[in-house]
Amino acid sequence: MISDNGQKVIVAEGITKEYSDNGMPVMALCGIDLTIQVGEFTAIVGPSGSGKTTFLNIVSGLDTVTSGSVWLDGKLLSEMSSRELSDYRRDKIGFIFQAYNLIPVLTVQENIEYIMLLQGVERKQRFQRVKEVLTQLGLDGMAERLPSRLSGGQQQRVAVARAIVSQPTLVLADEPTANLDSKTALDLIDMMRRLNEENGTTFVFSTHDGRIMERARRLVVLKDGRIDRDEARA
Amino acid sequence: MRLFLKLAWRNIFRNKRRTFIAGTAIGIGLASLIYVDAIVLGMEENMIHSATASFMGEGQIHRDGFRRTFELESSINNSAAVLADLATEPVVGHFTPRVMSYAMISSPANVSGVSMVGIDPTTEKELSQIDEAIIEGTYFASDDDHDIVIGDGLADLMEVTLGDRIVLTISQAHGGDLGQEMFRISGIFHFSIDGMDKAMAFIRLEKAQQMLNMPGEVHQIAIKFNHADIGRDEQAPFWERYSTDNNEAVGWTTLMPQMKAALDFSQFSTLIIGLILFAVVSLGIMNTLFMSLYERMFEFGVMRAVGTRPFAMGRLIVFEAGALAAVSCVLGVILGFALSYLFTRIGIDYTGIEYAGVTFRELLYPVMQLRQYILYPVIVFLLTMIVGLYPAWYAARMNAAEAMRRSF
Repeated sequence: MISDNGQKVIVAEGITKEYSDNGMPVMALCGIDLTIQVGEFTAIVGPSGSGKTTFLNIVSGLDTVTSGSVWLDGKLLSEMSSRELSDYRRDKIGFIFQAYNLIPVLTVQENIEYIMLLQGVERKQRFQRVKEVLTQLGLDGMAERLPSRLSGGQQQRVAVARAIVSQPTLVLADEPTANLDSKTALDLIDMMRRLNEENGTTFVFSTHDGRIMERARRLVVLKDGRIDRDEARA
Repeated sequence: MRLFLKLAWRNIFRNKRRTFIAGTAIGIGLASLIYVDAIVLGMEENMIHSATASFMGEGQIHRDGFRRTFELESSINNSAAVLADLATEPVVGHFTPRVMSYAMISSPANVSGVSMVGIDPTTEKELSQIDEAIIEGTYFASDDDHDIVIGDGLADLMEVTLGDRIVLTISQAHGGDLGQEMFRISGIFHFSIDGMDKAMAFIRLEKAQQMLNMPGEVHQIAIKFNHADIGRDEQAPFWERYSTDNNEAVGWTTLMPQMKAALDFSQFSTLIIGLILFAVVSLGIMNTLFMSLYERMFEFGVMRAVGTRPFAMGRLIVFEAGALAAVSCVLGVILGFALSYLFTRIGIDYTGIEYAGVTFRELLYPVMQLRQYILYPVIVFLLTMIVGLYPAWYAARMNAAEAMRRSF
């Protein structure tokens, strides 16, 4: 188990999620209790259907629980309105999905500054920050490219750039390497870990790739909607 | 705001073919409305002109009841004073006095009933088109007061030609004695209006007054205004000003109520056509927006996930509808202008066709108005935005997790 020292980013208590699949109830999550501390680099692992995506959707407020409670940065999600949740995600959470992360009609620059535009950040500050992130992630010279002119790995790096550009409390990544080849996948995870170490950004990502799991500092294994194992790693 | 406008504009060009098809559909709808409106206005103008310029005038003054009874004795009260007033009336362009009576016309070959109208050839020329309709002979060119101008239909019926003599028999006013005079056919006209071509005969005003035993009296004063709108405006003060002394002054809307009803119906038809067009187009727009939305479910899910508010999602769809509308309106305005302009050059031939008691005598030309190119596009634009509200509402209420799940 992980120690309870430090500031808690996510506190999930007894969360369950029940879906209806063609009228048949399906339990995606069955009483999950989990706490994520600031600065963690945590992998949620498990086979397909184990509840990884559902868990990430619930802790980000994209989906609701059937029962239980989730606190994000000290706030109880179930008490927040749809608009408050949107604003909260915008300001506190960075997202990386497994594919189609980017808005196809916006350039790399525009995609990365999208969240800052929603936040109303001034143009000069936006441009400065985007430039910094592009350099940090090795995307120099690609600012004006459309996503369709980037490789899969480059697109995911842009997604990471968008996720971290507004310096959120937490970055949630749902199988960010699923559509990448092995080398690109490991490069991406290494880059995320470097950001975690350098900036102190909390990363929680799901994966079922064994080599990716090796890079995590904490491994939470889900099986049939339950936590099967929760272990710290070097 | 700018971000979403930019996004919307770029989004509608993601599927160029679909945008082109949807935009063309909306554009054709708008162009049709512009063209139909131009045609209806042209038809109105043509009908009003055909009806008023041929003979009737834009307004008339009679003694009260004359239009109903056609009694010879019902001449305009104080006609000399009325004519003098009209001469100084600023809204009146031209006016002409007339006397009218039923008459029997006879030739060696035949006999028939006609409407005999006594006219002042000089003032009548400014108001009606009898002179322009002459196909044989002249329009009261000589000073002979026994000249008569008849229609070609009547000439055929009477089996007479130019220069032949005919006899008019009338019943005189103030006693009912019979009067009879022989006339020489000096002109034959063709109006393409059966009622005129087969049953009207024109003689000089003084001659008619003398025959009818009503010197100085007139039954009708036909009026042409400086602005045609006055003839249509039933509330214009002119009518009240001249409806005194047991006289009545009325415009063509009263003289030809069937034409006014037809014109009102035309405007109503335009409205109905517009509504049907927009209903069809609206469904097309909604379908296009929903197709576009369903294709981008994951993208919408991502946008919601990264913090785009529900209202902003809806606003994006409304902006996309607006962008589509803007493209469509440009297309529609160009198409509508080209179509209307083409027919303002070549005209549409409805001559000889009778509608609502009026026979079209001239080519029909669409009437292009600035309103058609501002008001209708604005309506289409707003309507498209309104139609976009339903998909926008759908997008705003979308559950991000569900949207992304359904995309796989």
